[in-house]
Amino acid sequence: MKGFLAQIAAMALKELTILRRDRQALALLFAMPLFFIVVMSYALEGVFEAGSRGRPIQVLVVNEDDGTLAAEAIGDLRQIEGLFLVETIGGGRITSERAEQLVRDQVYPMALIFRRDFSGRLQAKATTGSAAEAPCVVLMVDPAMNRQLIAPVKGLIQGDMERRQVIAAIPQRIKEAFARLSEKAGEMGPHVGDVEKEFVASLDLKELGGTNNASKLLALSAPKGFGAERRPTTTEQNVPGYAIFGVFFIVLTLASSFIREKEEGTFLRILAAPLPKTALLIGKLLPYYVVNLIQIALMFSVGILLFDMKPGNVAALTIVSLAVSAAANGLGLLVAALGKTEAQVNGLAVFFAITLAALGGMMVPTFVMPGFMKTLSRLTPHAWALSGYHDVIIRGLGVRAVLPETAVLLGFACLFFAIALWRFSFR
Amino acid sequence: MAEPIVDAVHLNKSYGDLKAVSDMTFQIERGEFFGLLGPNGAGKTTTIGMLAGLIEPTSGRLMIDRCDPARDTNKVKAKLGLVPQDFAFYPTLSARENLEFFGRLYGLWAERLEVRIREVLNTVQLSDRAKEPVSHFSNGMKRRLNIAIGLVHEPAILILDEPTVGVDAQSRNAIFDTLELLNQAGVTIIYTTHYMEEARRLCHRVAIIDCGRLIALDTPVELTRSIADSLIFIEFANGLDETFINRLSDLGKARITNPEQGKVQLETGAREQALKGLVELAEESGVHIRSVNVLEPSLEAVFLHLTRKHVRDTAKNGE
Repeated sequence: MKGFLAQIAAMALKELTILRRDRQALALLFAMPLFFIVVMSYALEGVFEAGSRGRPIQVLVVNEDDGTLAAEAIGDLRQIEGLFLVETIGGGRITSERAEQLVRDQVYPMALIFRRDFSGRLQAKATTGSAAEAPCVVLMVDPAMNRQLIAPVKGLIQGDMERRQVIAAIPQRIKEAFARLSEKAGEMGPHVGDVEKEFVASLDLKELGGTNNASKLLALSAPKGFGAERRPTTTEQNVPGYAIFGVFFIVLTLASSFIREKEEGTFLRILAAPLPKTALLIGKLLPYYVVNLIQIALMFSVGILLFDMKPGNVAALTIVSLAVSAAANGLGLLVAALGKTEAQVNGLAVFFAITLAALGGMMVPTFVMPGFMKTLSRLTPHAWALSGYHDVIIRGLGVRAVLPETAVLLGFACLFFAIALWRFSFR
Repeated sequence: MAEPIVDAVHLNKSYGDLKAVSDMTFQIERGEFFGLLGPNGAGKTTTIGMLAGLIEPTSGRLMIDRCDPARDTNKVKAKLGLVPQDFAFYPTLSARENLEFFGRLYGLWAERLEVRIREVLNTVQLSDRAKEPVSHFSNGMKRRLNIAIGLVHEPAILILDEPTVGVDAQSRNAIFDTLELLNQAGVTIIYTTHYMEEARRLCHRVAIIDCGRLIALDTPVELTRSIADSLIFIEFANGLDETFINRLSDLGKARITNPEQGKVQLETGAREQALKGLVELAEESGVHIRSVNVLEPSLEAVFLHLTRKHVRDTAKNGE
């Protein structure tokens, strides 16, 4: 047993020394995913986090209304988290022409323009119910802007406009109700007007129109057991995604190493030594497994140190990491077994690394994929690994919660190893 | 007679319908320098593979130092040192690191490993370059390191597959000296080559293999003695008729290698007489001789005689 372990140690030590001197392999395994994490986190911050408290969407506001309702609506919008209203530039009010120019020049992504008769039209619609022919408020956007960003902003503004309209209609509707009442009860005639005034006065319409009430009515929550009640940041999306992406690039390094040993004859020489084949395989795979764990630790450290990512339960993260590394090593051995030349191995490894990563949601989140693609993504170890990491980092879950993902990942590892050993030729 | 260190009896190895080694029987004495000579596809590599425990024979019996490689695989492997034809080491590691790794696979660690590394580096004269990456080495140095790795665990039997391919004369001589010293120190050496002069200089006995069969086994001296004095290759300017060929056969054992082009191989024990007779016969018959090439008695001639192939030509094709 001691000799067996010593031989494994010798194999592993040799492999690590060779890997340590292979700058290209190190760049592929460490620099590439790190680069992706840093660059993509910064680059996609706008997509993932636009509209959040830390990164609000800037909206130019042009108020041409000659009444008071536009100012009240603007007051409402100021309270909405995720929107930052730019109402003046250089101390002066913004005109619609200036706003259009600024959107055209891509200085601001959108402008909200309240037309001159905004209050009048809103009042008219509220009292007569007739819709204005031309819109009284315009949201002007750069056509190149992401539709996913426009939709929520449009929804927020639309919602506020409708609420304003309802509020504007309330006094008129009450007046109509009391008028109908006074017709039926003639003896109360002189007092109805006083009751009506008192009733309307008792309604704090300003308070009804404020957004604070809405926020009190709607509380953000998460399913029972999910610790986090916050949206994931770009980093929390990207770090695990690109860490998994990088982990599976071990397939290329590992499989190439097997083929190179076969082509260069060192494998033959190792086989001529009194070394059990199990020791050979364990000694050869062990360093790559360790490298995978170092990769993951490094990627997550970057996320924590540079982007202030909260790692969550470390034990749960470790379990998922151990399982995903096993799956990656299994796939590496499988590719080494299937490829006969270094060119074949490189082709297969890159194909698996890129295709499975794309399918598994490393590049495009699975929630934006069509239904059949989502189903396909569940056939990749990547998707399960990402799900496991998201359970821990975003949903704040612990060891027990990631056991299903871990089991599936280990299942993938067993499947890959079984096929690899069946197909592997030591000659 | 002492018990042979290698005892192969009726060895066979087949890959499907292909018989790579067929009914091969030979023994190698302890401390012997044993040569394996044969063209491409002759079965040398398969034979070496079976000796090294890398290939299991289909049938037959093989004993290495009283051990059965099929049963005591690791015990047999520990007694053997393999030096493949290709450079089988890691170019990004240094000579020392390569030796450390392969030594550890054979169970050498710590002081014992250090001592052996020093000794083999000294033996192959690479001590002063031990820490350099092997990729910086010349071909000759790489060949010497290839041998050193096979020696690091002090094997009783060293198997070398064409160890001098692609090296200059100086490095080749250095390798010969090293191998001779090792052999004198008691290491049994099994050596495959297609260089006849190497086999003649180094080997106590030579086995000639062709088409998976052992076709001759003896000392180089006895092997050359076993064939005629000379081989004469004659090329005539025109085709040959039957009468002429019959008369040519009186001069020795005539073999028509290419009758359309008038090529004849004449094997004779009396070279001078045969050449004189050839000239007379050509004059009488009005046949013009284009060229005459006399091959001195040598292992090359033996090989040619036995296999009808030029070993150098076959070697160039790949093995």
